[in-house]
Amino acid sequence: MVLAYLDAGSGSLIVQALVGGAAGAAVATKLYWRRLVARFRRPQDSGAGTPSPQHTDRT
Amino acid sequence: MTPSVPYPPDTAVRAEPGSFRDPANRVFQAGDDILRGLREQAAQDWRALAATDFFPPLIAAGKICGTEQVASDRVPADDGGPWAAVLRHERIPFLSHPAEWSFAMLRDAALLHLEILAEAVPAGFTTKDGSAWNLQFRGAEPVFIDVGSFEPAREGEPWAGYRQFCQTMLYPLLLQAHLGVDFQPWLRSRVDGIEPHQMRRLFRGVRRWRPGVPTHVHLHDSLTNRHAATTGREVRGQLRHAGFSREVVAATIRSLTRLVRRLDWEPPATGWSDYQSTCGYSAADRSAKQQFVDAATADAGRSALVLDLGANDGTYSRIAARHTGYVVAVEHDAAVVDRLYRQLRAEGERRILPLVVDLADPTPGAGWRSTERAGFVTRARADVVLALALVHHLAVARNVPLALVVDFLVGQLAGAGGRLVVEFVHPEDPMAQRLIANKPAGLHADYRRDTFERLLARRCVIQQRQELPGGTRTLYLGTVRD
Repeated sequence: MVLAYLDAGSGSLIVQALVGGAAGAAVATKLYWRRLVARFRRPQDSGAGTPSPQHTDRT
Repeated sequence: MTPSVPYPPDTAVRAEPGSFRDPANRVFQAGDDILRGLREQAAQDWRALAATDFFPPLIAAGKICGTEQVASDRVPADDGGPWAAVLRHERIPFLSHPAEWSFAMLRDAALLHLEILAEAVPAGFTTKDGSAWNLQFRGAEPVFIDVGSFEPAREGEPWAGYRQFCQTMLYPLLLQAHLGVDFQPWLRSRVDGIEPHQMRRLFRGVRRWRPGVPTHVHLHDSLTNRHAATTGREVRGQLRHAGFSREVVAATIRSLTRLVRRLDWEPPATGWSDYQSTCGYSAADRSAKQQFVDAATADAGRSALVLDLGANDGTYSRIAARHTGYVVAVEHDAAVVDRLYRQLRAEGERRILPLVVDLADPTPGAGWRSTERAGFVTRARADVVLALALVHHLAVARNVPLALVVDFLVGQLAGAGGRLVVEFVHPEDPMAQRLIANKPAGLHADYRRDTFERLLARRCVIQQRQELPGGTRTLYLGTVRD
């Protein structure tokens, strides 16, 4: 992944989904649904591939 | 439009102190030329940008500063090696800080940034940042200057400049529109603007429900705290996975544009907003003063830069602009500057730049080592300085010794060969009396016309001296000695 020179701020990235109209609302719903599901998932289920929301929430 | 007389021609290539944050490109000055060196990736981005359909029309409309590619050896190689490409930009006659803009200026700048981004996004481009420092003013017209900020957008990524946009433009506008608090001191104190957590504390109770505040302030701050330990890389991955797209970025920009358009501030009546009718001039005084300024600037030349200090409603800036290249109208009252800007903007004026600056406490240098953004005094070198009905405010109201006032006007702002048009309000004048009456008796005993003239004559050749018909004010035209 290519990163910009500026640290955009994680919270500042997420909030854009919440102000981005209907398309943004769909993204936000999906994002938080995945996070919710991840909370109830057994720890061994989270693993390779796309970084798990669990990883990000618990750092 | 740089000072033509006081400084010898200088063609050395110098890096701009304020352009180091993005290592992909760097801005340089070479004489009157403004150059931008691009590294390899930035040069590729530039070529792609120049080939788009959206970029050339924005330049043609004056919304983005004029830019052309020149020979790459115009900027010498540095530690990063030779520059892959070099651009030459249109020169902005006078650089200003966002902390020197009025409300309507900052709002117009914010709307232009959003407009440019809204054009860029459908074309597959974005800006790497979203700072108010990406913009400047050409008179009363905002212009986007950071051409190095454009880059191809990566699908599925939010706008990286959103936080900067909030901190340096949206939050100051919310502060003024919703609370009536002048934003200039906030921007002056932090080059990166106001933090979400600072805003949140100011917008408690019912204020939290004002337009734009629940999302861009409270939610923004909550999410910033909640995800403080999450890296941007992780969040970008999650958002992309959840379907974040270019359409969401476009919707965010539309939403921000609607919000910024809604924000307004009615400049309140202040002691300075009605100054022209309360300052004690008769019609004969006013007419004589206007004729004096007209004659004093008539042969200054079309390339001359004028500083009108204490410009108030801009009457004398407009007179000077008839004969000169560019006028910076400096006034410390933000409400007065806002009114003047709105008038000039409506007229499409591109040669008078109104700025909020307190001359007894001018904008200091900002950012890294306080030199990343030069302070007002460092930037303010002019061919002609107008200091009309100003000296008594500095010398009496602000207790600056008369000799220091003259040194500031002559040595600092107007260099050798430049000209100074200055008004001395005699101590007997009702306006001066009002100021002196607020001070202990004898404190301003040296505030006398003969003292002022002696100090002025030491630094200037006095070309012309004229007492106004009222008999309590004298105008001088001086040429600064070498």
